Amino acid sequence: MSTTTGDLARIRTGAGWARWLRRNGWTAGVWVLLLVLVGWYASLIPVFGEFQIASIVKNSLPTAYLAVAQAVVIISGGLDLGVGAMMVLANSVSALYMEGQGLGVTLLIGIAVVLGAAALNAIIGWVIVTSRVPDIIVTLATLFVLSGVALMILPSPGGGTSGGFRWIFTGSTAGISANYVPSMVALGLPVAVVALWLRRTRPGLSIYALGSDENAAYLSGVNTRRAKVIAYAIGGAFASLAGLAITAITATGDSRFVNASNGTLNSVAAVVLGGIALTGGLGSVIGAVAAGIVLFILNPILTTMGINPNTAQVIRGALIVAVMMVAGLLELRRRRAE
Amino acid sequence: MSAGARTTDPPAVEPVQRSARAWARYLSNHPLIVLGGVLVILVLSTAAVEPRYLSSRGIRNTVLLAAPLGIMAAGQTVLMLTRGIDLSVAMVATAAAYVVGNQSPNGAALAIVLGLVVGVLAGAANGIGVGVFRVNPLIMTLAMAGILLGLFTQWAATILQGSTSVAPFIRTIGAGSFLNRQIPWNVLIWGVVAFIVIGGLRRSGLGRMIYAVGDNPTAARLAGVRSWQVLLAAYMISGFFAALGGILLAGQSGAVDLRLAQNFLLPSVAAAVIGGTSIFGGVGTYSGTIFGALILSVLNSMLTFLDAGQAVKQIVYGMIVLGLAWLYAAVTRAD
Repeated sequence: MSTTTGDLARIRTGAGWARWLRRNGWTAGVWVLLLVLVGWYASLIPVFGEFQIASIVKNSLPTAYLAVAQAVVIISGGLDLGVGAMMVLANSVSALYMEGQGLGVTLLIGIAVVLGAAALNAIIGWVIVTSRVPDIIVTLATLFVLSGVALMILPSPGGGTSGGFRWIFTGSTAGISANYVPSMVALGLPVAVVALWLRRTRPGLSIYALGSDENAAYLSGVNTRRAKVIAYAIGGAFASLAGLAITAITATGDSRFVNASNGTLNSVAAVVLGGIALTGGLGSVIGAVAAGIVLFILNPILTTMGINPNTAQVIRGALIVAVMMVAGLLELRRRRAE
Repeated sequence: MSAGARTTDPPAVEPVQRSARAWARYLSNHPLIVLGGVLVILVLSTAAVEPRYLSSRGIRNTVLLAAPLGIMAAGQTVLMLTRGIDLSVAMVATAAAYVVGNQSPNGAALAIVLGLVVGVLAGAANGIGVGVFRVNPLIMTLAMAGILLGLFTQWAATILQGSTSVAPFIRTIGAGSFLNRQIPWNVLIWGVVAFIVIGGLRRSGLGRMIYAVGDNPTAARLAGVRSWQVLLAAYMISGFFAALGGILLAGQSGAVDLRLAQNFLLPSVAAAVIGGTSIFGGVGTYSGTIFGALILSVLNSMLTFLDAGQAVKQIVYGMIVLGLAWLYAAVTRAD
């Protein structure tokens, strides 16, 4: 479906709900799962109000942004193992230069970081299409290079930012409050823009086309090289948003390699849980966002249940495998039925 | 992974001089020559940095460090041939090392056997997930790494407490040498592994089926290959080699901790990739991976001699992986 044009999709909408569900069932399912988990969490803790909502939205920002970054690249048929490192680099650079500055300067730095990350990842995308080395290898290398650069720029945790900048992502100049609106806008706005852009515009659809069948896309006139580079640029921009969110939430930069590798791992897990095929061309960033928040919210739930963090990690891993096994079985049954 | 990426060729081929093309074709048919050349260049430049490196001791240290990496990369190579990947090698290695540490008081033999069993079991779990339930290998092995990390972090403080040192025999095979202290024992083990893997992939039925499943799963299925059994076997092999690598590492450092093998995960993938094994399956050899492990190990020595910090090490390391992969892709694409 992803190779058809928007017009064709609109003609077919007559098939209605069943069709919508078949297409978006997984995405809807992940959102339902998220609501169930939030409900469960609410029943576990004595008070569940705006403060808790703000805390969930705010703290899940980095994972959610990373999920989108990885989602766009994977939809284009690639895989970016360097997203976590890009996040750490953005976090380190922004925390280093924002320290002691006012809102205006920090905003400019923030914008510069996003643009710089987009440009840097576009170059990585260009290297991939030019060298024709598989994505996974090139980005394995950039995972090392980018986190090395971050470590060079900020050898030990430190830095800071302005109160105003913290407000943009957290709803408070101190980083903690019951005001969840700014966090939701900070997450919702860029995600909505990218989701619509992917589904409704020519370059957006060409990313789906590239991921679903590179040859067919090439033969039908899609500039596949450009589509790939654009996908990586968007991925870089979102990865840097994750880094800026960490700067705003913690008011420090932390360039340790483990942050980068964990970020990448979570992003891949979120994308798969969000119903995006690792082979490309299928799925939506909306599902990936929900999956990113799901992965985050498991931590507070398991902690409130009195489960120690290590067991929580085991449960998280087992849960991801269980979900994927069920998905695999469903897929197998569907194929047999056809 | 998408099969599309390797089938697309731009219609126009830039004109290349005939002799250059013949050269490129020759090299692409004999990729080990390119790898050997890179290795020699790296060894010589390391020697230029530190003349003492070109001694039996310097070389010995390099292969001593390359052996555990090469053994872990053996599993990675086998899996990449089936279109898979194992991101749990480092945690499986650490898990095996912990079990060996715990069982060392009961004798080295029992400890080693139990450590290897742990590896094979973890591999079998991966294999069932990937082979039977069709879970994406990336996700399955990542989740396995997370599960093992959680379990062993907890156990390291409880039932495995104090299992931090290993039996003398394991320390000998991990770090000791024979023949006038010239040849490390672990290189002998690596040699046996290399013999079995190269021979097994080339001649055994399982080896051929591993290539077949990775090259074209549909064709393999139609030809009657039970691919889930092949995948299960491949993941068990990878678990076994990860555990063996972990045991040798434990012997080398003499102590076990949770970070024992964490620096070996990405290099194990990189070694296979540098050696020319395709991440898309069906193409590659273990001899290439051996060169990959040696190249990475020499590179590590050179950066240590240069007194490079962790940041510089990471950057150079990443650049070299990218550069070699690029060179390799350019050479093998030429024909």
